[in-house]
Parts: sequence; C-alpha cells; structure tokens
Amino acid sequence: MKYEILDTDAGPVLTLRDQLTFSCRERFETIIDKLMVRHSPVITLDLSGLEYMDSAGLGMLLTLRDRAEQNNQEIRLRNPSPEVGELLTLACFDTLFTIERV
Amino acid sequence: MTEAGIPPSSRAAGIPAAPSSRATRALVVDDERLNREVIVANLRVAGYETVTAVDGQDAWETLDADPHGFDVILLDRRMPRMDGMALLGKLKADERLRAIPVIMQTAYASSEDVADGIRAGVFYYLAKPLDRRLLLSVTAAAIEEHQRFLRLSDDLAKRATVLYLLDDGTFRYRTLEEATALAVALARACPRSTHLAIGLSEILTNAVEHGNLGITYEEKTRLLTDRRWRKEIDARLDAPEHRDKYVTVRFQRLPGETRITVRDEGRGFDWRSFVDLDLSRAFSTHGRGIAMARKLSFDQLEYQDPGNEVTCVIRDKTGAADGPHQLPQSSSAWSSSPPPQPPGHVSVSEMRTSNEEDNASDLHIARQMQEELLPPPHELAAMRRAYGVDISGYLETSSTLGGDLWGMAPFDDHRFALWLADFSGHGVTAALNTFRLHALIKNMPEGREQPSRYLADINQRLTGLLPTGQYATMLYGLIDLRDEIFTYAAAAAPHPLIITPGCDIQTGNGSGLPLGIRRTAAYEERRLHLPRGATLFMASDALSECPATDGSRLGNAGIAAMTARVANEHGCGLDVQTLLAPFLATVRRPLGDDLTALCCVRN
Repeated sequence: MKYEILDTDAGPVLTLRDQLTFSCRERFETIIDKLMVRHSPVITLDLSGLEYMDSAGLGMLLTLRDRAEQNNQEIRLRNPSPEVGELLTLACFDTLFTIERV
Repeated sequence: MTEAGIPPSSRAAGIPAAPSSRATRALVVDDERLNREVIVANLRVAGYETVTAVDGQDAWETLDADPHGFDVILLDRRMPRMDGMALLGKLKADERLRAIPVIMQTAYASSEDVADGIRAGVFYYLAKPLDRRLLLSVTAAAIEEHQRFLRLSDDLAKRATVLYLLDDGTFRYRTLEEATALAVALARACPRSTHLAIGLSEILTNAVEHGNLGITYEEKTRLLTDRRWRKEIDARLDAPEHRDKYVTVRFQRLPGETRITVRDEGRGFDWRSFVDLDLSRAFSTHGRGIAMARKLSFDQLEYQDPGNEVTCVIRDKTGAADGPHQLPQSSSAWSSSPPPQPPGHVSVSEMRTSNEEDNASDLHIARQMQEELLPPPHELAAMRRAYGVDISGYLETSSTLGGDLWGMAPFDDHRFALWLADFSGHGVTAALNTFRLHALIKNMPEGREQPSRYLADINQRLTGLLPTGQYATMLYGLIDLRDEIFTYAAAAAPHPLIITPGCDIQTGNGSGLPLGIRRTAAYEERRLHLPRGATLFMASDALSECPATDGSRLGNAGIAAMTARVANEHGCGLDVQTLLAPFLATVRRPLGDDLTALCCVRN
C-alpha cells in the first residue's frame, strides 16, 4: 500500500494505492491517527488507485469510520476501482459511507 | 516393535539401549556409600554406565547440567539436604526431566513410603536390602517403559493428523504391533496426545496379552523372568483357539469428552486390584501399566465387569458440559446420542495431578474444540438418510485457529438450514468469535425457516459483542426439497453458486451489510432454484482472495469458471474436495486467510 494525505479546502484527501490487505493493518492505524488530528468534518478517501482490497481492508475502513464518528467526522469514499467497488457493493458499504463517483 | 521394545542389539545382554548412541546410564542417588557401591557394582557388571550423587541436591545439580544424559534414576528416600521426595517434586515439575523413570529404594515394610511415591509419580520400587536380580530386572523394565514412551512420542510427532477429523469410529485389531500403531493414531485424534499414547498403548496391549491371549499376571512374571514372553505371545497369536480373536475399539467424540472403549474376547480379570498400583506389585517388574495409564493419561477409566471392556475417558480441558463447544443440538433427524451407561457400570474417580498439566497444548486443545464445532461425519450421514443430500465441507485454517465456521440444522421433514460464516481477521481473536457465533446459533432455535429474519437476529445479537473493526460475513439459507428452492440471506458473503443438472452455473447474490456493524441492519431474502441432481456451493472469501503460487487470484469470475470446468469434467453432483481441487493444487501456502467451503448435492 502507498498513501498520501493532501489537505484541501474540502478537508483532507487520503489517496490509497496498490493494495489494502491484512498486512497493512498497523500502517493504516497510524494513518487514521494522522487523519483524526486534523479535526475536519469531512475526510475523503480517494480509492481510484487502489487495485485490490480484501476483507481485512473492509475492517480497516470500518475502524476508520468508527473513529471518525466519535469525532463527528464523515468519511467519503471516492471513485473506487471496479474490483474494490465490487467488494464495497457486496458488503453494502454504500449504506455506511457516502460513495462518490466523479 | 521388537521384543518387548528392546532393540535387538542389546537383547542378549538384557539391557535396553539408550536412545542415543551412548551407553545406557543410571544416576544412583544415595547418602550411604556402601549402598551406592553395591548398586553401582551390580549395574556396571550388567553393562550400565553409572553416575552417583550423595543427596537430592547433588543429584539435582547433576541432572540440571545434563538433562538428557540419564535413562533411569535410582533414588533413596531418606537423605540429608534434599531428600528423595523433594527431588521428585523438582523432577516432576521440570519438563526436561519429568519423563525419566525413577526407581525408589525403600524398606520393604514401609508401605507409607510407597504410597507417597505413587502419589508423586514413581511407579518402580526396590526393597532394601537389595536383591541383585530384582535390581536388574526392575531397572531394565523402567528403562524399557521410558523408551517405549520416547518411541511413541516420536511416532506421534511423525504421524499425519487427519485422524483429528474422526468423530466416531470402530477399529479391530489382533496383534501387539497393531495395538501400538492404533494407540498412537488414536492419541493423535485427542488433545494431550503424548500422555495419551502411552496410556492407550498400555490398555490396547493389555487387551491382546491379558484379554484375548489369556496370559495372567503370574504367567507374565514367569515368562519375563525366563525371557519367553514375546515367544509366548507369538505362539498364542498363532494358536487355533486365539487366531480369530480380535480386540474392538470404539472411538467417540462427544460434547466435552472423548471416549475410547476397548473390548476384548477374553474372560475378563479382576480389574479392581490393578486400577491403583497396589503395594504388593510396587516391587514387581510389571503389573503397573493400568495404574500408570490411569494416572498419566486419562481422566477416568471405566471398567465393565467381568473386565474385558474398558472405557478411557479424556475430558476436554475446559470441559463444562454446557460449554460453547457443544455439538449442534439434536432433533429427530440426528442419529447421535451419548452411549447409554450399561448397568453394573463402575467408575473410577478422577486422579489427575497437577504435574501432568500441559500448558503448551492449550492451543492444540483450542483447535480441537474448534473442530468440534463443525458437523461431524455421523451428522452428515444422518442428513443423507433424512433428506437424501450429500453435504461435504472443507476447512483449512491459515494459522492454528481459524475464524470460519459452517453448520447445518434440520428443520422439518423436507427443509433444513445450511450456513457458513467468516469472521474478519484470523487467529485467536477470530476463533473466539466462532465460539460466540456457535453458541448464539445454538440458542436461537426460533425463526430458522425465515433466513432474512434469522440473519437479522444474529446480526442484532452479534453487534455489541464484536469490537470495532471486527465483523463477520455470513450466508444463511434454508433448503426446501419439496419446492426445490434454496431461500437465503447474506451478509457480505461470496455469492452462492448452483451447478444445475445441465452443468450450468447459476450465481446467487451474497451482498448485504456484514454482521456486527449496525444493529438495525436488514437483510434481503433471496431464492435460487435447486432441482434434483444440482449442487449448491458456498465458500468463504479466501477462495477468491488467496493468491496462487503465481500471485494470481481467482476472484468471483474465476470461481465460476473453475466450477464450470470441474462440473464439465466430473458431472454436476460434486463434493467439495473435487470442486476445490484445482484451487488447492495451486494456492500459495500457508493460506493468507481461512478457507471454508461446502457442497450440498441433492440426489
């Protein structure tokens, strides 16, 4: 997994690339910490460059969502690739997150 | 096995060889110089190497410095500094040393000493003043026993582990070799296998030797003295009156305990005087096997009169009968029930001591318990009889413990439920969740016929139980054989597939919110046509996600393609092993996630 956080007027945008899998857990935790301290009402995850995500990745998104909710922050998922989109659809994550396709 | 376990090379001398290439070595612990010298002289003449120690402390330092250097310890009880009992306590508490056999020297009259020794785990005794012949035969017997133990442990380590899948089985055997092989195999099917192997081997050997072949205790004493024991066994096995005698062993895995019942075709024996090592036999070369087996290996030994049938009981360590590892509750479609206790049943009470606790095997026991959550073969057979369906399951975990679980439950004469769940993550955390779910489902008998509602119920109960970031995916469905419909609800599960009799693949829809995230989640009820001859297939996401050795993943499309290929080759009535074979042949191991899959074929 590669990532970068870009601070924009609309809040931080976390761009994830390559793969989000079980082995990324600890790094993802530190990313969550970095996002939380920004106290922005909206956090956007750009998933267009994320080629693959497994079930553990879903769990990480849920953890992020939980932490964000505690801080009254909203998570938006942007432009998931077809593969990742399929998994998000399977797990009905559109009922948990706003999924933007722009 | 060679003659009574003695390697051929040393048989002539009557000395069992040491496990390594070094000579067999004894540690002689006695504070009286004259006693030490008598023992050392006799053992040396017989070909043993000896090392002496003047008291318990001295002995402890010697053993601690070279824990694998000794095959037997001859121990005096009363000594200054550290006495025999204190040294025993230290030995039995030390993993490296506890298996070394100890022979306690004691005044013949002192039955108290013997009783203390037995409690501390000493099975061999020598009376003072020493009888030379007894010294040598008891020493040889103790070492032999120890080496049998080492061999069995070695066998255990080498044996493949498929027998842990065994739930109920009957075995028949005739010879001592078969007895030992079976003991090792059955021990593998139980928790705490090392200690079990030695006890089972004792019980299974007895059934041949004293049961079918009718060799009495007194006869064995004479045969051992004359070194004719093995010859006599072989002769009797060949004799017309014994040739057709078998020992029957039934293995049963029940909720909370495993029972191994051994029945021979002999006349039985006075088992009551053998279940405890009685004082009259403490000084003999043999006759302590049952007492040792009972103390070291089993939670309970239940002899049935006249003594030709014995049940060895091994309890699950956490074994509360109402624990979460109980098998699915039975209903009319199940054939399984605990065996009825016969009249005249006598039970020997629990005698395990703390020094046999084996903490290292906790994980193994946990795995065992987890395997017991899965439907055992006899329940699958019951489903076939009741519904005419062949259900086959496959489970391969990525570590010792897994986070997957599947199950089934009869509903009425033409409907039954089938489900598969997969907890996020793996290892202990995920495994604990499988126990949670199993207990939940067991306690939710209502509403099984309505998959959407049932899944919502499970979700409601799991939410709050699961920590943040942990969730489960699940497919729960009801098969209606009369209407030929599979009605199901799903929580982010891989799509179920139906392989039609025409070998077409129909893909269902596994989408839904994972379990444990939102208490109010609702689930859609979906249907698939399941005609006679069709196969229903479901799997956990490891099937699509685990990479092959070339790094490629199957994905949903790949699963459907593989299924179609296998169906074209083997027909549409598939068992899970056949269906998964192309995947299992190429997947990278160890798996990155737990894989569970099941097939249900309507005949």
